[in-house]
Amino acid sequence: MKKCEYEDLIDDYLRNKLSEADTKKFEEHYFNCSSCFQKMTEREELLAVIKNKGYEIFQNEFLTEETKRSPWYEPLISFLTPRQWALAAVSAALILVVVLAVIPIMKSSSPQFFINEDLVRGQSITLISPVIDIKNVPSEFKWKNLGKDVEYKIYIYNDKLLWTATTKQNSITLPDEVKKLMTSDQKYSWQVKAFSPEGGLIAVSSRVQFKITSTK
Amino acid sequence: MDEVKNKNKEVNLEQIISKYRPIIGFRVKRSLGHSNPDWEDVVNEIILNVLEKIKKGEFRGESSIGTFIYIITSRRIVDYIRRKSKVLRHMPEPSPLPAPYEQIENKERAELIARAIKKLKPKYREILYLYYYRDMTREEVAQKLGISPRRVSERVNYSQKLLRKILKK
Repeated sequence: MKKCEYEDLIDDYLRNKLSEADTKKFEEHYFNCSSCFQKMTEREELLAVIKNKGYEIFQNEFLTEETKRSPWYEPLISFLTPRQWALAAVSAALILVVVLAVIPIMKSSSPQFFINEDLVRGQSITLISPVIDIKNVPSEFKWKNLGKDVEYKIYIYNDKLLWTATTKQNSITLPDEVKKLMTSDQKYSWQVKAFSPEGGLIAVSSRVQFKITSTK
Repeated sequence: MDEVKNKNKEVNLEQIISKYRPIIGFRVKRSLGHSNPDWEDVVNEIILNVLEKIKKGEFRGESSIGTFIYIITSRRIVDYIRRKSKVLRHMPEPSPLPAPYEQIENKERAELIARAIKKLKPKYREILYLYYYRDMTREEVAQKLGISPRRVSERVNYSQKLLRKILKK
């Protein structure tokens, strides 16, 4: 018997799942199609039995469901299709590869400092003295030597720049005029920058604070 | 000549009524509710109405006889519901959706069918369980079992074929 195109609607009609328009269409149809009407009455009977006696008929199915309860992660996994999971995994792997490749590159670069909000690449200069509060006005400022052919620039501040000078040595003596300017109980800070012979910045120290506890 | 024509007409009408009575009955029961005792009266009303209209010559073959009867059936059902609503004005409206699984008409036959389902292989019983008992859609069943929706329909149909085989024995 040739299949009627309305046959697929039988189940949904019996279970009230059809739209109002489709319901009306189908209802008119089975007044005109004996094949569909017959199939429908058979299925209605089956449905009635299943619904009324299901509890005793499907014992095995109830038991299987009890034991095969969906694991807690099932809703999470079914959120994506297997194909989408594969794509996501590949994308994640690629990102990971890129990140891991970039990290070594970043690490090998020299430490960076912010000086007056400018990002400076370079080594660090260790300041030796004065780095703590001192009794007298300091005469000499010392720092760690970086190497040959390095030009150092020193900066001394209270709340603004007090004095700056350049030297090729790793220390400098404070001139008397500047010493006279320095008083006790004032906060001072100083910093050294190192430059290559060409004039490029190669290292910077942090700005260290110190206080003079008394003046002569 | 007229007598023969009339006789033919009568036979035809009888045939029509016997053919359409079950269909009208199905539709009326579904709309009124299987437990509603009025359904038989309504069916008879409809049949009388159909006969009247045919005799009056109101059926001119513009539509099929099935559609003609369907329209009369639908109108009569609406009328009945309206009548009932008027009487029960202070009571809740009758539910428009039929409860499809109310009563099993033939208890012995139901028992036979139930036994037949139990005899099915798990694969085919399971599909009836999910699709009919759990009332899942084709797509939901397909996803649960990991097969295509088309396969679901095929399996549902095949299960019923198997049932028919078992019941015929």
